[in-house]
Amino acid sequence: MNIAMVSRLIWKDWYLNRMGILASLIGGLTTLALVAAMHASQIALILGVIVVVTILIGMGAMVMISAAMERKQQTLPFVMSLPISYLEYTTAKIVGGMMIFLVLWVALVIEVVAMILLAPGFPHGVIPFVVIMSVEILMSTCLISAVAVTTESHGWAVAAAQVGAISLNGIGWSIVRLPEIGGNMNSATVRWNGTETAMLAAELALIVLMIVITFFVQARKKDFI
Amino acid sequence: MIDFAVEFSGVTKRYKHFTLDQMDLKLPTGCIMGFVGANGAGKSTTLRILMGLVHQDAGTVQVLGYTMPDQQAPAKLEIGFLSEDMRLYGTPTLEWHMNFMRSIYPRWDGAHADSLLRRFDLKSQQRIKGMSHGQRVKAALLLALARRPKLLVLDEPTTGLDPIARREVLGELMAVLADEERTVLFSSHNTAEVEQISDQITFIDGGRILASSDKEAFLDRWRRLRLVLPPNTKLPGLPGIVNIDGSGRLPVVTTNQFEPKMVTACTEVGVTVQAVDVMTLEEIFLASVQGQRKGQAL
Repeated sequence: MNIAMVSRLIWKDWYLNRMGILASLIGGLTTLALVAAMHASQIALILGVIVVVTILIGMGAMVMISAAMERKQQTLPFVMSLPISYLEYTTAKIVGGMMIFLVLWVALVIEVVAMILLAPGFPHGVIPFVVIMSVEILMSTCLISAVAVTTESHGWAVAAAQVGAISLNGIGWSIVRLPEIGGNMNSATVRWNGTETAMLAAELALIVLMIVITFFVQARKKDFI
Repeated sequence: MIDFAVEFSGVTKRYKHFTLDQMDLKLPTGCIMGFVGANGAGKSTTLRILMGLVHQDAGTVQVLGYTMPDQQAPAKLEIGFLSEDMRLYGTPTLEWHMNFMRSIYPRWDGAHADSLLRRFDLKSQQRIKGMSHGQRVKAALLLALARRPKLLVLDEPTTGLDPIARREVLGELMAVLADEERTVLFSSHNTAEVEQISDQITFIDGGRILASSDKEAFLDRWRRLRLVLPPNTKLPGLPGIVNIDGSGRLPVVTTNQFEPKMVTACTEVGVTVQAVDVMTLEEIFLASVQGQRKGQAL
């Protein structure tokens, strides 16, 4: 693996997405700061969460779909004419895309958790639910990445983004009804139970599985342009 | 012993509706080879296999001593590739692309890049999306040439250009190639372009190499003979007949193994040779394809 070359491709994707990253970061952090300033107003909280989730999903989709866009915009032959193998290209796309997304994701998740812990009026028991849903957004982003990289199809990548968005609602709606999760949300303290931990572990395992499948499929490909 | 920059041996690639069939191809180092074929003949597939972007189902490919596709990364460090379906990133400037390439290619020649900028009349601060198609092709050519590649692979680089831009790009390319010593593989369906640039010619049709030779040999060997047969006289057995057109008494024979003694052989049996026409590369290519499709060995 030519790490130097992979790093240059990652830097290239960072450069090409720099305005989107900056705008998303500023938009997300500003939204959360406004929610915190409204002292646990339920409407502000709901609107703030919707904005942040939209920013995360939108940014994730934008970054991850770039692999499919490279074929559509015919920049893939240019990239693949560089001294790289296809596995190095795949590594750069997945690692680079995830790094871009994780900068935003980590910043926003930390601020959401910090806001719940520090701003008055938010029940701390909601934190496990927030973390599970945040990792679900990360999982959806991995799904888009896996589909975009393996199919190189803009249409399939958009379909994956839609599946991710729908499953986010479905999973959120379902787990909030579980007494082990929903029942804890209004408690004043953070208490991780077995169900919450298992759900988090399952999400992380699925993320790893999607990445492994992506590399497996890419390693078996014979035509790259 | 001849040193080959590119060697294909028994290369086969099967698709549902197309097969590149047992291809053998050798490009001597330092030569400029024109790779001529109609649309869908297999030119791009061949060049993509050469670059390691498509993996052959059978056969071996050696490029600059590297085995493809396994050693494509080090091989591509020494290859400049440009194809008609290749685009640069639209938003960044040409300078950004030049800096990006400089960070990748140790042999990147900044002074050469600057000279190409002037020669191609390009502005490094201009965004790629603001350039005309001709300027984009020149920008991609600059990026390929300034890395000082040992092998330059050009897959129909002038396709889609208007005649003026095509002439400009071709003229600049010829000027650059005249200055430098490198191996070039240039694919096109435009035989006039290939005839201008190349010293070796390879014809491909239906996934098969029809003929591969140096340009002068092609032009010397191929002739069209306009004959007049006396009544009850048969056409004498001539070598290398690819095609016979015309009426029974006035045949027009195309041969790819012309020698002056063929004229003597005709006159000795009473056949009048009205004319021996020199053929253009386009006529040779069309006759080759026609012969291949009729199943004649070339």
